[in-house]
Amino acid sequence: MKKAMLLLSIFSLSFAQENLEELKRQLEEQRRLIRELEKKIEALEKAQKPEAKQEDKKEEKPIPADRTLQLRSKYEERLKAFQISPFRQTAFLPDISLIVDTSFVGRNKKDKELGELKIPGLYHKHEHDKHGHGALNEKRGFNLNYAELFFYAPVDPYFDLYATIPFSEHGAEVEEAYAVTRGLPGGFQLKVGKFRSSFGRLNSQHPHAWDFATQPLVYKVFFGDDGLTEKGIQINWLAPTPFYLLLGAEVLQGENEQSFGTDGFKIGTVEVSETRKPNLYVGFVKTSFDVGNLSILTGLSYGTGHSRIYHKHEGEEHAFAGKTKLYGFDLTARYNLDSIRYISFQGEYIYKDSKGTGFEHDGSTLNTEEVKKKQGGFYSQLVFKFDKRWRAGIQYNLINKNYVKKDGVKEDLPKNLPAYYAMLEFSPTEFSRIRLQAGQNRAFYEGGRRKTVNEVILQFNFAIGAHGAHPF
Amino acid sequence: MRVMLFILILVGFSLAQLKVVATYPWIGELVKEIGKDKVKIHIIAKGTDDPHFVVPKPSHIAKMRDANLLIIQGASIEIGFLPPLLQQSNNPRIQPGREGFLDLSQFVELIEKPQRVSREMGDVHPEGNPHYNLDPHNIPILARAVAERMCQLDSPNCSYYRANLEDFLGRWNAKLKEWDREFSKLRGTKVISYHKLYDYFLSRYGIVLVGTLEPLPGIPPTAKHIENLTAQAQGVKFILQDVYHEKRTAEYLAKRLNAKVLILPHDVGAMPEAKDLFSLFDEILRRFSQ
Repeated sequence: MKKAMLLLSIFSLSFAQENLEELKRQLEEQRRLIRELEKKIEALEKAQKPEAKQEDKKEEKPIPADRTLQLRSKYEERLKAFQISPFRQTAFLPDISLIVDTSFVGRNKKDKELGELKIPGLYHKHEHDKHGHGALNEKRGFNLNYAELFFYAPVDPYFDLYATIPFSEHGAEVEEAYAVTRGLPGGFQLKVGKFRSSFGRLNSQHPHAWDFATQPLVYKVFFGDDGLTEKGIQINWLAPTPFYLLLGAEVLQGENEQSFGTDGFKIGTVEVSETRKPNLYVGFVKTSFDVGNLSILTGLSYGTGHSRIYHKHEGEEHAFAGKTKLYGFDLTARYNLDSIRYISFQGEYIYKDSKGTGFEHDGSTLNTEEVKKKQGGFYSQLVFKFDKRWRAGIQYNLINKNYVKKDGVKEDLPKNLPAYYAMLEFSPTEFSRIRLQAGQNRAFYEGGRRKTVNEVILQFNFAIGAHGAHPF
Repeated sequence: MRVMLFILILVGFSLAQLKVVATYPWIGELVKEIGKDKVKIHIIAKGTDDPHFVVPKPSHIAKMRDANLLIIQGASIEIGFLPPLLQQSNNPRIQPGREGFLDLSQFVELIEKPQRVSREMGDVHPEGNPHYNLDPHNIPILARAVAERMCQLDSPNCSYYRANLEDFLGRWNAKLKEWDREFSKLRGTKVISYHKLYDYFLSRYGIVLVGTLEPLPGIPPTAKHIENLTAQAQGVKFILQDVYHEKRTAEYLAKRLNAKVLILPHDVGAMPEAKDLFSLFDEILRRFSQ
């Protein structure tokens, strides 16, 4: 027992000794830590001094007169009332902007006359809903082209959402509403919803980003007033190259009224079934590189789908069912004189190849024929920004291929269909723009005779809300 | 086979480097000082560009695709050109909120923050004046922020970055003493500037800004505004002019006020003399003391 006690005491003593050592060590450690902390504080104080100095200096500056000071103090009283609501979500409000486009049009053709003009083999006006922007600058005199709401916000860490909702005087339309992935690896991006197809150069741009008040002729005849805007999905891949190289594919519903269409129709006794859905496949490749101050952006596009086009006008019906292929080539060359001024050339060639059956029904007899169409045209434009607020530009449009064969017989159609425009614009800021455009369209016909349309457009465009980015 | 090997080596080499995209040259200089040969830098704007209006060339998108880090000046100065580039970069690493996105305006106190904003006030930034890079005392704080982020993204080279940072700070702080001494002689000098571009520099050294040639930020000078400015601008010694705006107004007013037009670089590369961060401030000093 004694032995045991002795052993225990020795043990505890040595333990105490050890404890003491431990404590000493800890104390030493603490001291070291404190010294270190002191050093850190000193360093921090030193680092903060310049900032403090800056504060002092600021007070030396003359304080600008503030007319709103009194108003603001009133405001703040009222703001307190709002702060009572603890579940406010205003911090999550998306970016919103409203773009208003209005114009004054002078034209040598009355509105009704213009509506009856045709571009042979390519275009004739037909009534469709007027909810979106539809045709711009449609009437002589004053036009409200659109008041367009734009929304953007990240949905979550994985998606961004964009929506564009143009209002006309008659209603609203969802022109675009799509989500884009934020985090796909390997340079991939996915877009899903309703969007302007990336076919070509101008198609994905909204009208307010265009350099001219009117749509290029090739776009009007192949895509219609709203462009190729479709529901669907896009995948694009940015190649890991030192220059810009983007490849993309789209699967789209393919409801475009000028070139595609999905719904079946009944004409006379013939019933044509609806197409496969989705109906339209688009592929594109775009590349860009710089040579000094010159930036080149160029691309190739391809689209293929079935066509179902059916129109009824004053008891007469005509329709087309077949397949359509579209080919596009675009080139932009922009020479930057400095960060403000530039000269930019932009051109696009679009070629359309359609095959199928044409139907005509005048109420009693139905006429069907085999139709082959090969049509193409381009626009090319030169825009010069010569001042921070001023731009001038010219645009040349031409449909130079208009080959239509019906039942093996070539139709005699005009194939030299030009239109020319010149514009001068003044932008007081990035948010307002006044544009004067004058032009002549020699593509319209009536009863086999060319009808020249001359027009002058004074266009006003305003944007409020979130800051839009400048297009390239 | 040999070609394959070469490509592999090339790929391996390019992987070894941290790829950084900076919006402005002065940020690029910080990255170069800290990263030296361990980083590959691409700068979007040119020194001669108006920082508010940079051309959003698609070629930048290709560089942003592979970047590990995007460093911006922030305070909405890039709003006109960066968002679409970023969206098209298809690069999740550099999106806002990720580790590869660094907004330097978060590290300095911005001045002239408006109490309310409306576009009737011109091009005002709700965050405050974004041209904070022209206070030389902000540079060390920003250099540290850049180095820290590079360390996070590339920890094997962290000690290298830190050593370069210390070296840079040593040289910078030595220069700061000289600049402080020299620029302090300008205290109380009255100046006019075209845009509120130099305000951080001016308030640092107690130089008094009497007015701007622009009636409102981003709005070009008007005859009436210049007339009013002339009336209240007695005793103005210098008219500070950037490299990218028209110079006629400054010259006209200088004649009226018997003042001198000083064309000052606002960023590295704005003029040939301002070839790095040091010579940027040296050149400003030289032009003031001429």
